Order: sequence, then structure tokens, then C-alpha cells
Amino acid sequence: MKQMIDNAIATLENCRFCLMCRHVAPVGMVTNQEALTPHGMALLVTSQPRGLVAWNAETVGIVFSEVDGGNSRAHCATDQPFEEAMAAARAELVAQGLASTAVTQLHAHLQQWQNPYQPQLPQPATGVAQVALFAGDEAAYLWPDTLPAVLKLLSAVGMEVVGVGHGRNNGLFAHSAGFPDLAAQLWQATLDELASVGAKQLLLLSAGDYYAFNGRRGGFSRPVSASARVSPADFIEVTDLLAERLAAGEIAFRKTEDETPWAYVDPTHAVRVPERHERVRGLVTAVMPTPPRELFWRKDRAQPVGSTYIQFSNPPLAERLTRARLQDARDSGAQLLLCEDPATLHHLNRYAGEYGLRVQGLYELLAERVSSEQ
Amino acid sequence: MIRSELEEVVGEEYISTRESDRLVYATDWFWLPQMWLDRGAQPTLPDFIVHPGTAVEIAEILKIANTYRIPVVPWGGGSGSQGGAAPVFGGIMLDVKRLNRILEIDETSLTVTAEAGINGSVLEWALNEKGLTLPHYAASANCATLGGYLAPRGSGTISTKYGKAEDMVLRMEIVLPTGEIIRTPHVPDHAGGPDYFHLFLGSEGTFGVITEATMQVDYLPEARLLRAVLFQNLGHALEAGRQLMTRRLSPFVIRLYDPASTATQVKKVLGYEMDGAYMVMGFDGDPDIAALQEQKSLEICLGLGGQDLGREPGEKWWDHRYHFYYPPNGLHFPWMYGTTETVTTFDKLEKLYWAQKRAVEETYADWNVNYIGHFSHWFHWGASLYSRFIIPEPPQEAEEAIRLHNRIWDTAITAVLANGGIINEHHGVGLKLSRFMRRQYGPAWPMLERIKKSLDPNGIMNPGKVGF
Ligand SMILES: Cc1cc2nc3c(=O)[nH]c(=O)nc-3n(C[C@H](O)[C@H](O)[C@H](O)COP(=O)(O)OP(=O)(O)OC[C@H]3O[C@@H](n4cnc5c(N)ncnc54)[C@H](O)[C@@H]3O)c2cc1C
Repeated sequence: MKQMIDNAIATLENCRFCLMCRHVAPVGMVTNQEALTPHGMALLVTSQPRGLVAWNAETVGIVFSEVDGGNSRAHCATDQPFEEAMAAARAELVAQGLASTAVTQLHAHLQQWQNPYQPQLPQPATGVAQVALFAGDEAAYLWPDTLPAVLKLLSAVGMEVVGVGHGRNNGLFAHSAGFPDLAAQLWQATLDELASVGAKQLLLLSAGDYYAFNGRRGGFSRPVSASARVSPADFIEVTDLLAERLAAGEIAFRKTEDETPWAYVDPTHAVRVPERHERVRGLVTAVMPTPPRELFWRKDRAQPVGSTYIQFSNPPLAERLTRARLQDARDSGAQLLLCEDPATLHHLNRYAGEYGLRVQGLYELLAERVSSEQ
Repeated sequence: MIRSELEEVVGEEYISTRESDRLVYATDWFWLPQMWLDRGAQPTLPDFIVHPGTAVEIAEILKIANTYRIPVVPWGGGSGSQGGAAPVFGGIMLDVKRLNRILEIDETSLTVTAEAGINGSVLEWALNEKGLTLPHYAASANCATLGGYLAPRGSGTISTKYGKAEDMVLRMEIVLPTGEIIRTPHVPDHAGGPDYFHLFLGSEGTFGVITEATMQVDYLPEARLLRAVLFQNLGHALEAGRQLMTRRLSPFVIRLYDPASTATQVKKVLGYEMDGAYMVMGFDGDPDIAALQEQKSLEICLGLGGQDLGREPGEKWWDHRYHFYYPPNGLHFPWMYGTTETVTTFDKLEKLYWAQKRAVEETYADWNVNYIGHFSHWFHWGASLYSRFIIPEPPQEAEEAIRLHNRIWDTAITAVLANGGIINEHHGVGLKLSRFMRRQYGPAWPMLERIKKSLDPNGIMNPGKVGF
């Protein structure tokens, strides 16, 4: 913990003198408040040891009002691990017993049920296969149509998979909210399941899942357990796999007749997966008959909806983030929003009607339009 | 009482007196208040942070401030380095970032009209979607605002061809200190009477709040050619720059590092170890014209003893051009530092450089002062010297550090004024250079004071700044 805090402080000392991710920092963007920018947060955290501020409900609340640093990191001019530093700062506040009730409840729920949504334990994996699919908690509880659609698509490309982690969080909430040990446990539990079904490859449903598994291997938080023999090539997003198979002519889709103006929404965490947008775009345009409307906040400047841990630590702010995406979509002239990430879909769908927008899962659409003759 | 009146104007959600907000709005990038924060001492905090959403709301806020005689400090991105946005007398911090809409992009006249609180990079992205660019490439674009470009008369990296921010603005909407909302004529170049428009550029919020601006934009250039040249003699390099400018070869950038910054900054950021003065020049627009301009410019440089380093080091500089200013390459604590930049005509430029360098280095040798400089914004008649002092180990005691800091500034500015320079080229005056205004303007200063008095009779707007 001491080392983590020292590293965090060194990073935040840099961030406190740098304002260069303000143009993409989601919370600062929607609130226009300096304290809620990475610079403001870094200043706050580094001012506490200097005796300039004390930890209290207000100041602690600020530290837990940042999405998770992904956008800031993706655009960092000097490659500061801001999200890691903020996670470490939150972990320190948690360790000092200063986290809010909402945050401690999140911890309790994740610890007891391995997901924050339902009082239900993950379904154990059954069977044996070369390839496993991380079902997670978001597809299980927030957008349940995802899984059958994905299984149909995978079967269309001749892949039989075993589901793992059905109902279990990918560990990102725990990591961002300041529970690194719990994050590591959740993550490890899925990797252990992966090993138990004999799979060498883990398919992931969203950019968030991909980042949770692949990013962690890249060094954040905890080393990979020796028991989990997962090599770098083994985490694959389902959208990537489908885009590849589409390009290779191994799967095809019938275009819809629906000419509703549409837009693709880059999901939360998309900026953490380089060039992802182009690959998914290839899939979407394979089923949509008209060109997309473009959101302003897309591709490498995509902004998250309120689907990170912030939905628990600061629900009104999470709602504002989601509404900002819906406003962007409405401004683009779109009426139909497509996305594959169960959590992003769920959050967009909560308020989409107020913006005259309809939300549709991309996997479902693709599964519906998969062509039988290839 | 005041808070509830302000709340009536902007709504409860858009006003804050929270500890965390007051701390972060206590200072912009000025070394002095940052030093207080770094050493765990609190600079003066604002009393209220207000986030208005319209010019009308700002007008109402200013009326309240006049009633209670409360200072109002406009705040854009807070990236200014002069203490311009520091609330030295407390009062209302007027954060204009909610005024962030793009109102019109006119693709015929090539203009954009936007609210003043819009972030520089966001505005640029929106223009890029249409193949356009606002050619004010400030290193702080990711955090600065349009109003913050204009209020202190900023210059961007490509100002040498496209001008300073003030050269790009056609029209502004301004809320006067007494609450009237005015719009300047829709073009700036005319003979329809005196030019009051420019009063609001460089007054840094002391004459009113800029709420909207129409800016001239350009097409994104088809080609951007960059090239680096190394000179052994700084004087020859300056002469090369002068010739490029006076012969109107239209470089969009000439960045000439003095030997000290070549040996330190260029080495640190670009990884090149070179003795001499490293110069980058760039040409853009039509590829054929740009190539010809580059060729003619290179001939001038070679004729003056420059060594052609080719395109790659120029392009590398372009890719890293802002990294000179960001952590970990930029300024940081516990250093004491100041950017003593200035501008003058070609006939005085080299002399001014040596005079300032000598004055700072000799006077503060005991403090191991580093003086570095580069020449960055070039005009037909002269260029800016972007000079900087750094004291790696300043006094431990804060008051003593401040005294030393102020003495160095006195020395640097005295050298500037004695050698035909202006106290600043693009960072503005703010709080930092406020005390030098009277000296710079001489008999014209009382006139400016009278203008200030008539526009802002109660002195509410950004007191302590720009000499007021
Ligand atoms: C890393 C770094 C790099 C920089 N690079 C450059 C550069 O390349 N070129 C350059 O010119 N500057 C540069 N600066 C200085 C600074 O960023 C610029 O001056 C910038 O334009 C300030 O914009 P801001 O929105 O942050 O203004 P602020 O710092 O918020 O304000 C600056 C001054 O303008 C006033 N003001 C702000 N908005 C308004 C308004 N709407 N109406 C009236 N007054 C207002 C404030 O009261 C204050 O006096 C740099 C700064 C940093 C930290």
C-alpha cells in the first residue's frame, strides 16, 4: 500500500501542474467545475498531506466523483498513470474508513455476490472447451438479450464456447473504487474458471471487459497468478472476432430495411482499446443500409456513459454523463443508437426516450441478420 | 444575502462555496500562488464560484457585484501564467466555461462564432470536421478557452504566418462592468470611427467579460513542410529569420533556440545533442508554393552559415512541440521560475537578448540561475524572445523566495525596457507584471486609467491586474 501511495502521489504531483486532459475529461466536461477535472482532483489529493484541505464528506466525495481516469489516460500528453493514481488514492481513503456509505455498500455487494446488481452468486461454469466467453454481470443482469445473440453469432462462425464468469463483475468497479484486493479476487476467479474448463482463449463482450482482463495483464494493480496461463493473444473482443470473420468471408449479414437515421455509440472504455472504432464500424455498416450519423464525441475522443463505478458513488453525475451522450446523439440527427456493450446500452436506454432516441443492441441486430448461406 | 442573489441569477447548482472548489480556483499558473500551495500555505481564496450560462446572467452578476462592491474575476481555463485569474481580493470567481456553444461556422467567409468559454481543442475538433482550423495553436489549447486566448492577447505556435489571436478576431460580444451587453461591429477593419474593439483585447477582464467571438478560420493546409537548421552563431540565425520575414517567405513557424536551450531543452525533449542554435522552420498550404518557400528560405539559412539538418528533425519537433511545456519536461516545483518573454524590432532583438541574459545571469549567479531563451513569434518587423529563468534551489523560506523572485523580475524587465522591448508578447500582464505598466506606458498610463474608471466606476473587474 505504501508503495502504491508513493507512486500515486508522484503521478498526482505531475497532474496537479498539468491541465492537458481537460478537453476529454468526462466529468469536468459535463460539470464545468475545476475541482472535478483531473487537475482539480490531483490538486485536492496532494493538498491534503500539505495541510491545505482535510478529508471530509465533501472532499472525499470529490475523489469518488471521477469516472475512472480512462479518458484522461488515453489522452495524457505525458503518459501519467492517472487512473491508477486515483484508484490508489481511493484505496487509501477506503483503508482509512473514509469512503461513503454508497461506496462501502458497493464493496459489500461485490464481496458477497461478486456483482453489484443482483443478490445472486455467479453461475458456475460447466463443460470443457478451447474457447470461453466471459459472460460477466452486465450481460447477465443489465442487457440479457446479449448472450443468446452472441452464442448464435459464434455458432454461425463454427465456434462452440463455454460461458465463464456468468454473473461476475470483471473487477473494474472494485479496482476503480479503491478495493484492489477484491478486484484481484474477482479477476482471478474468472481466470481460475477459465483454467478449469480448459480454455486457452477468452472472448469478451465489451471494451470494458477487454480492458479489465487485458489491461490488468499489462501491469495494473496485481500480477497475473501463476495458475492462470493466459498468454497475450488470448483475450479477444467478440466484435473483433466477428469483424475478422466478416472480412474473411466466414460470416455475412443481410442489411436491414430500416432507414431510420442511426449512430454507433462507442461504449464506455472504448478509448482504452486503440483503433477499436474502425473495427466495430465495419460490422455495423454490414447490417445498416444507410451511412451513420456521426457523434461528435466518437472514436479516440469517445466519452463514457455513467456505467463505471461512478453509478454507485455518485449516481446524479453518472446520469449527467449518460445524458450528455444522448444529447450528442440527438444533435447528430440520429434516432436509433447502436452499441454492443450491455452496460452502455442499459444506461443509454434509461433516458433515451426523453431524447426521442431508440437503443438497440448490436449483437442482437447482427444475430437477427446473420445470413445462413456463406 | 449575496449568495442568494447570485443563486437567483444562475440557480443553486451553479454557485459554490465548497472548500475543494475554492482551493482549485485560488490560482492560475502563476508561480507565486502556486508556490504558496506547494508549500502548504493558502493563497487568497475566492468567496463564491459562479458558473453563468449566458451573457445576460453575467450582466446580472456584475450588477450584484456593483451593488455590493465585490471583485469579479473572469476565469476561462485558469491556464494563464500571470496571475490574471487569481482572486487576489477574493470575491466572485466568474467561470465562463458553461458558455461553450459553437453558434455558427460560416464556410463562405471562413469564420466561426462561438461562446467565449469553449475549450480550445474542442473548438478545433469541430472546425477540423469541416476541413477548417483556427490557426491559434497554443500549447495550452487542451485547457484554455477562446476568451482566454483573446483577453491576454495570446500567440500560438503558427502565429508567424497567421497572426496572434487578436488578429483572428472579427467581432466580440462583451458584458461591460456596469452590466450592459455590447456587440462590436461585425468586421474589425473599417473607417467607421475609433477602434474601441481592441480595448477589450489585452485588458484581461478588467474592462469587461468577453462572452462571444467571431474568429477568422482557415482551411486545413494541404501540406506542412518542416525543416531544421543548425547555426553556430546566434546572430546569423537571427539574421536568417529576419530575412525570411522581411522577404515575406511566409514561414508558419520559425523556432530558434539559443545555444543554452539547444543543449538542454532540445536535448531533453527531442533527444538531439547539438552545439549551437537549433532552428526549425515550417511552410504550409499549397504543396508547390510551400516547397518553393522552403527552398528559398533554406538558401538564406545556408548562405548565413546554417547547416541543413533535413526534414526529420523538423517534423520531430512539430510532433513534440508542446511537450516542452508539459510535465515532466516543463516547469515544476520546488524550482523558482518565470517566463520573462518580450518582443521588439529586429534592430534591437539580439542586443535585448544579450542584455537580459547578462543581467539575469550575472546578478543571480549565486543562485545558480539558468537563463534559456528561444525566438518564437516572428513579425515583419521583429520577433519575440521567449526567455525564462529557473532557479533549481530557491530559498526555503517563502517570503524570502518571493523577494528573490520579484527582484529577478525587476532585473529582467528593466533590461527589457532599457533595450526597446515590451514587457510581454503573449502571456499578458495579469498580476505579475501589473507593477510595470506605469513604467512601460509613461504619460499614456493615466489615459488608460481614465478609461478604466469610466468603464468600471466601482473598480469591480479583476482588481490588481494589468496595472489597475
Ligand atoms: C502549459 C502551458 C502552455 C501555454 N502555452 C501558451 C501558448 O502557446 N500561447 C499563449 O498565448 N499562451 C500560452 N499559455 C498561457 C495561457 O494558457 C494562455 O494565455 C491562455 O490563452 C489562457 O486561457 P485561459 O482560458 O486558461 O485563461 P485564464 O487563465 O482563465 O485567464 C487569463 C486571463 O484572461 C481573463 N479572462 C479569461 N476569460 C475571459 C473572458 N471570457 N473575458 C474576459 N477576460 C477573461 C482572466 O481573468 C485572466 O486575466 C500556456 C500556459 C500553459 C500552462
